[in-house]
Amino acid sequence: MSEAAATFPCFGGICSVRVSGGGERYAAAGAVADAKRLLLLAHRTLSRFDPRSELSRLNRDPRREVPASPLLRRLVAGALSAGMRSGGLVDATLVDEIEAAGYAESRDFDGALRVAPALPSHPAHPSVRSAWCELAVDERAGTVSRPPGLRIDPGGIAKGLLADEVAARLTDFPAFAVDCCGDLRVGGTEARPRTVLVDDPLGGAPLHELRIAAGAVATSGVTRRTWIDAEGRVAHQILDPSSGRPAHTGVIQATAVAPTGLLAETLAKSALLVGPERAASQLPFGGVIVAESGAVVVCESLAPLAAAGLVA
Amino acid sequence: MDPIEKRELKRKAWMRLAAQRRRAGLLRGRVVVISLICFAVLWGAVFAQMITGNDPVLSAKQATAAKRTVASAKREIETTEPRELEPKRGRRGERADGDSAESRGEAEAEELAAVEAEEVAALEAEEVAAVEAAEAEAVEVEEPLVTSQS
Repeated sequence: MSEAAATFPCFGGICSVRVSGGGERYAAAGAVADAKRLLLLAHRTLSRFDPRSELSRLNRDPRREVPASPLLRRLVAGALSAGMRSGGLVDATLVDEIEAAGYAESRDFDGALRVAPALPSHPAHPSVRSAWCELAVDERAGTVSRPPGLRIDPGGIAKGLLADEVAARLTDFPAFAVDCCGDLRVGGTEARPRTVLVDDPLGGAPLHELRIAAGAVATSGVTRRTWIDAEGRVAHQILDPSSGRPAHTGVIQATAVAPTGLLAETLAKSALLVGPERAASQLPFGGVIVAESGAVVVCESLAPLAAAGLVA
Repeated sequence: MDPIEKRELKRKAWMRLAAQRRRAGLLRGRVVVISLICFAVLWGAVFAQMITGNDPVLSAKQATAAKRTVASAKREIETTEPRELEPKRGRRGERADGDSAESRGEAEAEELAAVEAEEVAALEAEEVAAVEAAEAEAVEVEEPLVTSQS
C-alpha cells in the first residue's frame, strides 16, 4: 500500500507530508499539495532571515501593539505557552543573543557533527529578564503586543506548531504523517501505528525505534546545526537563557513524544536544557535522551499517551 | 474559564514572577556594588593615611612613587569613555530609525502586497503540478519516519 507524498526544502531543512487517502488517491494528493503550500507560506511569513516576512516586519515595528495574521498570532501564542510550560527555558525572545552567537543570518550548516570539547556542563536557567512573558495576543483585535524592540525568533516552535497546523487539516484522512525538519506529527482515522526512528546525534545508526499511531515526536540537539564562532569555539542554536550563550548541559540530544508538535518541541528543548539529571522529568509522555558521555536513556513513561489512545 | 483568559492570567502571573526576579537581581547587584565601594573606600582611607606619611614603615621616596601611580590611574579613569553610555546612544539611534521607517512603511507595504499577490498566483498555477507530483512521489506506508534535530 502506498500514500501520496511530497518532500521539499522548507524552514531551513527538509519537510515532508504523507497522506493515505484510502480509495481516494486524488483527494490525498490534493491534501499533500495543500499542506506543502501551507508550509511554504508559513516559511515566508515566519522567517527571521527574510526582511520582507511578516515576522521581520513585526520585529522592526516601533509600535507596541501590531496587527498580525492568524498564523503569526498563533506563533506568538505558541511562544508564550512554550515559555510557560518550560518555566522560561524555552525563550523565543533571545534574538540578540543568537545573533551574537553567530546566527544572525540564514546559513548553510556544513553537516559536520561537532561536540564542544570538554566544556564544563551545567543546567540552563531561565533568563532573569524573562522577556517572553511580555508577549501577548489579542484575538479579538487581531493584534500582537510586546515592548518595542523585543524581537521574536520562532526557532523550533514554528516547526512544531506548523506540524500541528497541517495535522489539523488532515485529521479526516485514514492516515497521515507530517515531518517539519525532524519534528513529526502522525495521525488519521485508522490510527495506524508508524515506526519513528530516533536519529543518532553522532551520525551512527538510529538509536531507538518508537511506534506511534497518533501524536508528535520532536528532537532537539546540539550536534547537527553547529558552527565555529568568531572566537573559534563550537557554537549551536540552543541557548542557555540565563547566559545568552550556547548551552552545555551534559545532554546532547533529547527526543520527546507528546500529543502535539508544539508540546513535543517544548519538552524536547526543556529536557536538553535542564541537564542529564532532570531530563527524564521533562518527558512525561516518554522519549530518548542522549548524554554527552554517549549514554542513551529511553524514557518509557508512555502510559498517559497510551491511555489517551495516542500510542500503539 | 476561557482558555485565552486562562493563558492571559498565567502570563500575568509569569510577568509578576519575572518582575520579582528582576527586583531580587537588582537588590543583589546593589548589595554587591555597595559592599565593593565600602571595601574600596575603607582601604583607600588606610592607603591615603599611609602615603601621607603617617605610616612609619613608608619612606618618602616610596610615598612619592605611590602618589604618581594614583595620579596616573586617575588620569586613565578620567579619559576612559563610560561603556554604559553606548547602549543608551544606540537606543536613541534606533528610535530615530523607527520614525523614518514609518514614513517608508506605506510604500513598502504596497510593494509587499504586490509581490505576495504574484507569489500566490504562481502558487495556484503550481497547484495542479504539485498534486501530480504528490502522486508521483508516493511512498510505501511502512517506510519509517526519522526524528532528527530540528
